[in-house]
Amino acid sequence: MDEELHEDWLDARLREEAAYIDDAGFTAQLMQKVPARRTTRTSLRGAVLLGITMLACVITYLASDGGHFLVSAVQTLAAMPLWILFVVATFCAVVVTVGAASAAYLQVRDRS
Amino acid sequence: MPLTDADLVARVLVHDDHHAFAELVRNHQSAIRGLLRQLTRNDLALADDLAQETFLRAYRHLSSFRGEAKFSTWLYRIAYNCFREDARKRKELVGIDETMLEAQEDPQVTDPALKHDLMHALSLLPLHERSAILLCCQNGLSHDEAARVLDIPLGTVKTNVLRGREKLKKTLAAWGPA
Repeated sequence: MDEELHEDWLDARLREEAAYIDDAGFTAQLMQKVPARRTTRTSLRGAVLLGITMLACVITYLASDGGHFLVSAVQTLAAMPLWILFVVATFCAVVVTVGAASAAYLQVRDRS
Repeated sequence: MPLTDADLVARVLVHDDHHAFAELVRNHQSAIRGLLRQLTRNDLALADDLAQETFLRAYRHLSSFRGEAKFSTWLYRIAYNCFREDARKRKELVGIDETMLEAQEDPQVTDPALKHDLMHALSLLPLHERSAILLCCQNGLSHDEAARVLDIPLGTVKTNVLRGREKLKKTLAAWGPA
């Protein structure tokens, strides 16, 4: 009984200590430091990335004799022994998995 | 009808509405600044700097708030992380002894005249017990929510609250109910 009474008293005192803190300009000061709108910058960034990607595709197509290198690469791959294809595919899968796992880890760490 | 935290968060995310974010800050500034004041042992300037960093970080990472926990719990977690990072940095800069952060002086050997001061009694608790007491007993978080904020197991939170309570009761015994 005494134990409970003491705990109630302690909790009440602790809550008293947590009295409301007046804003006193805190929010206004903080809002001056909040970055400006990001939506235009985001759309601009997307447009720039898309434009550069399309330009790179056009340059690659023209510089590679109409994409002939792709046909050559496919022919080379088709002529390779099956076990080499398996090793190459496994290596690519490992690289992609490690990259994705690293990105996921970094994102989770940033959120915490 | 006042907007809920979820409504305000949605407005910030969809329209980058600064007024909505300011409303969120106004709603939670007292609790966050209060917690940081206690964690920094009433260093008001440092607590407000950390509170600003907390809200700025919340703004930058608002898209990662998925609404699984209460918005206030999410903010407490950011505030606690800010405090820990700052404590670590300051330790590197001025060589603060780790014991100052984790295991403070023994309450039994302090000036008896200060025992009546609950703030002082709180400041004597080790950081892990002080944090648990502040979140659960002062700010009304459940043990589960405090475990999320502090990123420690639920059982450890319960133990820390229990031990912290015992120490506070001992320190403040003379001022307790008759």
